[in-house]
Amino acid sequence: MENARKKLSGFVAILAAAAVMQVAASAQKAPAPPTAADWSALAKLPDLTGVWEAALGGGGGARGAAAVPAAGARGAAPAAARGGTAAGPQLTPEYAAKRDALRGQAREDNETANCLPPGMPGIMNQPYPMEFLLTPGKVTIVIEAYTQVRHIYTDGRKLPEDPDEKFFGTSIGHWEGDTLVVETVGFSPLTQLAAGIPHSDSMKIVERFRLTDPDTMSIETTITDPKALTAPFTSSRTLKRHRNWTIAEYICEENNHNFVDESGKAGIKLDNAGTAPKK
Amino acid sequence: MKVNPRRSLVLALVTLSLLAAGVGPIAAHHSTVPFDSTKQTTLTGIVKEFDWTNPHTWIWINVPNDKGGVDLWGVEGMSPNYLGRRGWTKNTIKPGEKITIVGRPMKDGSKAAMFMSATLANGKVMTQSGQPTD
Repeated sequence: MENARKKLSGFVAILAAAAVMQVAASAQKAPAPPTAADWSALAKLPDLTGVWEAALGGGGGARGAAAVPAAGARGAAPAAARGGTAAGPQLTPEYAAKRDALRGQAREDNETANCLPPGMPGIMNQPYPMEFLLTPGKVTIVIEAYTQVRHIYTDGRKLPEDPDEKFFGTSIGHWEGDTLVVETVGFSPLTQLAAGIPHSDSMKIVERFRLTDPDTMSIETTITDPKALTAPFTSSRTLKRHRNWTIAEYICEENNHNFVDESGKAGIKLDNAGTAPKK
Repeated sequence: MKVNPRRSLVLALVTLSLLAAGVGPIAAHHSTVPFDSTKQTTLTGIVKEFDWTNPHTWIWINVPNDKGGVDLWGVEGMSPNYLGRRGWTKNTIKPGEKITIVGRPMKDGSKAAMFMSATLANGKVMTQSGQPTD
């Protein structure tokens, strides 16, 4: 009997401890679940949903037939090379020196050849489609290239003051009229501001997404980086909506024969020629 | 739609200059440095395998050599995702079929190339360019 009472009181103590922990956790204030009104409010926003791919200069393939190499160039080509603005990023002396040092290494390729995803902003410049999803408090971009996802919170939260460094950074968004404005901070040093140009820990990217006609979206991207840039670097591109398309899988490690080694030499692995995993 | 002729001209010039610089819209995953963009090689042989895989398709083709045997060549193409939206399927290149491929050879002379076009047994010429289909 005495034993049973002890067991019972022990059980009660555990329950009490669990309750205290739950209160502590809820002090972080879980967001309220979306209401029917939240879902229907989405219908009043510009319809950015669906599958989009860069138009001219971004993978539409508007080029002559066999006269041009087709298998690919870099993963993080500058916006200027993809139908964006003609002017490149204006670098501070410190970052111009860093760029020149990188050039001096004469690396033949970057780590995307080894299947490392480019992260931001390069991932938004791939010759593959992206699907935009709007749900209450969030915009999600499903990116076919390298099978990537961006999470953009539109629930009113603030950007973190001391963000972790991520390939995609940390993103929040808000609507200014018909334009979705996305602010992103906190980028991994493994990403680049533009091809061959490193960024600092102060890089911030602001993207403005807006429909210019029912199936055309413009993205204006402005990069600021007080340590690396003497002026904001703005580029723009146009996406076309493909209502019949679905996002396909893209597992880069599936059958990758390309590589770049530590010295920066690029090549093709042929020791496993013709031995792809069978269907 | 209103078209600004001056803007169209500028856009055309920008596009042309980008193409001339070899900076094309078809770009992903890796650089073209290992390939010699100034040369073309023609490979006629029997398809061993067609890898309909990411990040690139690969055509493996047995090409007769001057010693009376065959060499296995690998030809790298765009991804199935990209080509699948431009008229290709996993059955476009068939094992056992005799085809002719034009590509950019490797600078180091190894038996690989970057795909430019293929003439199939039925005479059809496949490229990787063109607007995507909806």
